Amino acid sequence: MKLWPRVQILWPLLFLLAGCSGNRDLKVSPSAPHAKVEQAQGEAESSKGDLFVLLPEPNGEAGSIRVANAGGSQILDKPGDMTRVEDFNRPPIAPRLLDEKGVASIFGDALLAQPDLSPRFVSFTLWFESDRTKFANGSKETLSEILTTVEIRKPKEIHIVGHTDRVGTDSHNLKLSSRRANFVRDFLTSKGVKSSVLFVSFQGESRPFVYTEDEVAEPLNRRVEVMIR
Amino acid sequence: MEHHGLRRLLLFTIAVFFALSIGEKAFSAAPSPIIGTLQRVSGTAAVVRQDQILPAKPGLEIQANDTLRTGTDGSIGVVFHDDTLLSLGPGSVLVIDEFVYAPRQGKFSLVLRMLKGTAVYLSGLIAKLGPDSVHFVTPSASVGVRGTKFAVKVQER
Repeated sequence: MKLWPRVQILWPLLFLLAGCSGNRDLKVSPSAPHAKVEQAQGEAESSKGDLFVLLPEPNGEAGSIRVANAGGSQILDKPGDMTRVEDFNRPPIAPRLLDEKGVASIFGDALLAQPDLSPRFVSFTLWFESDRTKFANGSKETLSEILTTVEIRKPKEIHIVGHTDRVGTDSHNLKLSSRRANFVRDFLTSKGVKSSVLFVSFQGESRPFVYTEDEVAEPLNRRVEVMIR
Repeated sequence: MEHHGLRRLLLFTIAVFFALSIGEKAFSAAPSPIIGTLQRVSGTAAVVRQDQILPAKPGLEIQANDTLRTGTDGSIGVVFHDDTLLSLGPGSVLVIDEFVYAPRQGKFSLVLRMLKGTAVYLSGLIAKLGPDSVHFVTPSASVGVRGTKFAVKVQER
């Protein structure tokens, strides 16, 4: 932050470098499939305010983002969800869907500039039985995929992060998530993975995979995530 | 006795030199300020670092507090050290206010401040490992991120 004034002095120079006209024409597809999308297109076209759009991740899933300011907040949790915010004191509008064409017309250049995905870390999720440190069905296959990946990649970092669903107290779940993460660590070291590359952490019930109310049993939240790179 | 005095002085001098050289080594072994690399570059774009303007080119290393700028024909893609991917479309300005990726210490933080233009963000390990560790800020709002991908357009003000 302390460098800020110096950077600001440079801005006129940069404008020369970059050329001065900031506005670009947006091409918007004329045939939107339904009214809500059309409305979203119009919303996106409007030059007033900032746009926030949740995109599908490379694996097809979408996480969620929370757009907040002094006026309020909105959660975007479906791919294509879009909100617009006029200024810091006005709340973000209720999310609406922006279709792929709309996304491409506004963000096409930025999307084309996205770096390669191939050198990135790969993630795996191991599922657990309720309130236990025991793998649920299907985790065996994932374990062997993890071992294969380790063999191929010779990773420098393997992150193991434990999670639980929201049944039980926070402190119970923190311990449970720690036990699950350590269980996976022990499994990997028993298969010859070097412990020097393992980073174990745990987050209890605080970061559910799917959002639920407290005390809701949710198999998808009982998990250990393994990220290899 | 005099000899002892001289020897002591000599030993002291050597000790001081030794300490200085270790100090220098310790200093140069401080964590690298490099936090990522430009990967894709097209058109006009630059990285602004204090009073320097570095023309964008693939492979250019970036540091915390750098400002990324693209011209009206420019776009860039950045790979951060935690595998966060960030790309900017034309006419964009984004400041990297903070980047901390220290898994041994369990410290994670990424603060990006976008002033105008378009950006696409894909989470890296900082978002996956540190709760509430990523903040993407625009003039109108702040985005709280859980491991995900999103796009932002900030109007010119």
